[in-house]
Amino acid sequence: MWKTNENGEKEFSGGKKDWNGAASAADRCLAFHSDVEEETVADEAISCYNCRFRRWTKSSFICCNSATDNPTSKT
Amino acid sequence: MQILVCIDDTDNIESRGTGELAEMIAQAIEKQDWGKCSWITRHQLLLDPAVPYTSHNSSMCFKADINIEYLQQIIDYAANFLEQESQVDADPGLCVIVIDDFLDTKSLIDFGYRVKREVVTKDDAYNLASRLNVHLSEHGGTGQGIIGALAGAGLRLSDNDGWIKGKIKINAPNNIINVRDLCSHPAIDKVRNMHGGYLEDSELIVLGAMVKSIIMEGRAVVLVHKSDEANDLSLWTTCSKKQLANYEELRTLVENQ
Repeated sequence: MWKTNENGEKEFSGGKKDWNGAASAADRCLAFHSDVEEETVADEAISCYNCRFRRWTKSSFICCNSATDNPTSKT
Repeated sequence: MQILVCIDDTDNIESRGTGELAEMIAQAIEKQDWGKCSWITRHQLLLDPAVPYTSHNSSMCFKADINIEYLQQIIDYAANFLEQESQVDADPGLCVIVIDDFLDTKSLIDFGYRVKREVVTKDDAYNLASRLNVHLSEHGGTGQGIIGALAGAGLRLSDNDGWIKGKIKINAPNNIINVRDLCSHPAIDKVRNMHGGYLEDSELIVLGAMVKSIIMEGRAVVLVHKSDEANDLSLWTTCSKKQLANYEELRTLVENQ
């Protein structure tokens, strides 16, 4: 689901249209924080596409939260 | 006198958004009786590694009907506000444009669309602003936000870009409403089939989880699509966020051709 891009950043490998993947990743993430309403694009409330820590790129997004560098899961 | 106020690059990854600041400026204009403000619109700009945006690269814009004597006060207020309220690591920009017969709207709109498809410099923005005699100012950091501020104003002028900030709350029995009643909301002018034309007043709409207006031909338009569960009634459903995001992306591709 994630890859390290040429800049060493954590980039979502699902691009901008993997709605299920982005929702699933956010659901498992302890650091998810909803962005302001006008910047949300996914129908799922909890989605990486709607997270305050996502930084859009041309083809996907980068996760900007350092707490997600180590895999964390909700229990 | 009608003006456009557009701001960009005021936030960081953890702060309140640029949209909220735009809203606060608009509220201040009304509270001070300087004028009356319209909807705040969000305009997507280019996502490219060469552009140092924080997270979305979108600018926020609103129109205002003001008394001409307050123009400079509004500019001064907005500038001061940005300096105080923007994040320390942001690069805020402010654009204020007087909409009159002398305004070269084509050049501004062209600039707006240009910033959606290519990397543009601060010099480009300042040169255009100077040529068109519009207010453009930076208020912190690199001041890179002036590019988005000028572009957002141009895109708002195009009357065919962006969506209106904020969710629209509609009360309707069983979540079904006709077009006429839906359009009585101040943030909705028309309802349009995302694959075709505008709907008639009597047509029925099922309200989805979210109702949102986009700017189309200068109007606040809610996009709908045919319902899957149509029975005896011909029903439409409001488009979801996903559908709107896809539509906006496609619209940008078409405009850039």
